[in-house]
Amino acid sequence: MTLLGIAWRNIRQRTLTSSLTVFSLALGVGLVVATLITGGIVRQAFESGTGLGYNMIVGAKGSPLQLVLNSVYYISKPIENISWEFYSDFQPASRRSDGEDGDFASSVEVAVPICMGDYYRGYRVIGTNADLFGKLTRSRGTPFAFADGRNLEDANFFEAVLGASVAADTGLAVGDAIKPTHGADDGPEHDPFVVVGIVAATDTPIDRGVFVNMEGFYLQEGHAKPLDDEEEEALLAAASADAAVDATAASDNASSGPQPLPEAQREVTSILVKTASLPGLPPELTSMGMRTVINEGSDGQAVLPIGEIRQLLDLFVWPLERLLLLITVLVVIVSAVGILVSMVGSSLERTRDVAIMRALGARRSHVLLTVLLEAVLLAGCGGLTGWALGHLVVGAIGPWIATNAGVSASVLSAAPGAELLLVPFLIALAVAAGLLPAVMAYRTDVARWLQRGG
Amino acid sequence: MADAVIQLEQVRKAFRTPAGEAVPILDVERFEVMAGEQVALEGHSGSGKTTLLNVIAGIMRPDSGRVVLDGVDLARLPEAARDRVRADRLGLVFQQFNLLPGFTAIENVLVAMAFSSARPDRSRAESLLTSVGLGHRLSHKPAALSVGEQQRVAVARALANQPKVILADEPTASIDPAHQQQVVDLLKQTCQEQNVALVVVTHTPEVAEQFPRRVRIESFNRVLAKAASAGGDA
Repeated sequence: MTLLGIAWRNIRQRTLTSSLTVFSLALGVGLVVATLITGGIVRQAFESGTGLGYNMIVGAKGSPLQLVLNSVYYISKPIENISWEFYSDFQPASRRSDGEDGDFASSVEVAVPICMGDYYRGYRVIGTNADLFGKLTRSRGTPFAFADGRNLEDANFFEAVLGASVAADTGLAVGDAIKPTHGADDGPEHDPFVVVGIVAATDTPIDRGVFVNMEGFYLQEGHAKPLDDEEEEALLAAASADAAVDATAASDNASSGPQPLPEAQREVTSILVKTASLPGLPPELTSMGMRTVINEGSDGQAVLPIGEIRQLLDLFVWPLERLLLLITVLVVIVSAVGILVSMVGSSLERTRDVAIMRALGARRSHVLLTVLLEAVLLAGCGGLTGWALGHLVVGAIGPWIATNAGVSASVLSAAPGAELLLVPFLIALAVAAGLLPAVMAYRTDVARWLQRGG
Repeated sequence: MADAVIQLEQVRKAFRTPAGEAVPILDVERFEVMAGEQVALEGHSGSGKTTLLNVIAGIMRPDSGRVVLDGVDLARLPEAARDRVRADRLGLVFQQFNLLPGFTAIENVLVAMAFSSARPDRSRAESLLTSVGLGHRLSHKPAALSVGEQQRVAVARALANQPKVILADEPTASIDPAHQQQVVDLLKQTCQEQNVALVVVTHTPEVAEQFPRRVRIESFNRVLAKAASAGGDA
């Protein structure tokens, strides 16, 4: 029989006390593990927004963070809209009604419009075009894939594509029709859009979006920008001169269907911009120069999402995560005090056993080590149970996280580095908790105990 | 002639009172036990029997003198080394057998092996318990064993590390007369079979008279003689 075996037997000798101690520690460790994992998931949720293939967001002047939260994560309210004219500055000649390159076109590889304001069963409806899934990427260079159906087609105004979480939550499939509501979940219903595709899960905010063709979006009640008298006259004149007002490649096909909204009545909420690599210049430098020019002008602002997300993580997410971790670590320490109380509580009983073992030839170091091993075993059992408990908790709330954060979470989700750190932490805690009873055992006076006649 | 496995020479031991006053307990000029010898050590309460056993076992260090156990002078060794000698060369049987309550019969024997230099040997532990008639009770805890069975586990545990000496401190004091005889028979027979020296402390004459050698502690502990003479003088 080894010292470990003796320690294990000592634990089993006090089954109820040991079980309660292990249970209390398991609860604490479970909380820590669940906090570590969900903290990692939250961080992943935010960081996932930085790899969607664009490096700049252009929107109305106001809070840069609000622009990022709104355009990347589909949370918070949009600031204001920017003009179609400003949006067109980012488009090449082929996409502009005047047939000339926009002011920033040469510095832009792709500029995807985002129009917001509608909802579908709690999810944001985003008016955009086929470039979102066709030219941007789901994560650092990986193209979007469709679990079912296909991408939006710019010529078909009333098509919709669903994020994976939306499809899973609503049960919608390709071919179903959805009716977005205006301004809020209980707002007036718009015309139906037919679901043509379901994006494969990306673990990004895309999973929580309902994407509709921007042309169809513009044609809904309340989406056309009101015109003043001057603008209205100009629009009528342009119409009478049979000027082309189509800003999309869909104009040919649309002639027999609904007519696109005139440019003068259009606005976009923001633009996701992937800057071009100019000869001899890295894209970062292009984006920084362009950002300076935009921000010095009055049409809108340009923000670099990575910087804003880092700032958000630094200012809010990480401090909150650390606070939660601190609280849960305190819970574990309180649980470790439970080990101490349990072991000190049984010290009278232990004194007799220790005296017997000492009389049989156990050295003081044997006794010290046995008691410390007992504490480490208790902590080990509590830690292991708590670790499993933490993963089970994450597994249980996984569907909720997937729906609300757009990041998949399961029993197997992990924060490997932090979870591994728990091992030395728990051992240190167990040794600290076991030290007092170990020293008490170490100091057991065998002769005095034998002198008492046992 | 057999060699002595226990040799005490000029051994003195005193306890200190809380006031710091030294109270002599032992003053032994010479005491020896030969290999395989069986000795009954008698004496009244407070005569220093248990202290003598503790000194022989290395649990206590004498203030002066030599305590040689199987050729090793315990008085010169630090505590950890005395513990090792005790684990390797000595078996102890206590007044109430003092088995570990959370451990099974075989585990109580294996625990004693855990502290010795030799590796714990389960088959030897089984064989020892079988030799004392407990082959069928290996996995029973003390609470599930009768008094007689507990005393047999205690004897098997004392023999676990093939000791040269077994010290038994009033092993019959807390049991009924029927069981007393069983304990004495078991200890004597087992020690004889394994050529282990046996020192049994007892204050029961019926027990002591069954041993080939009976020694009264008063005969060699000069502290008691001095106290008696001081009492007599008074």
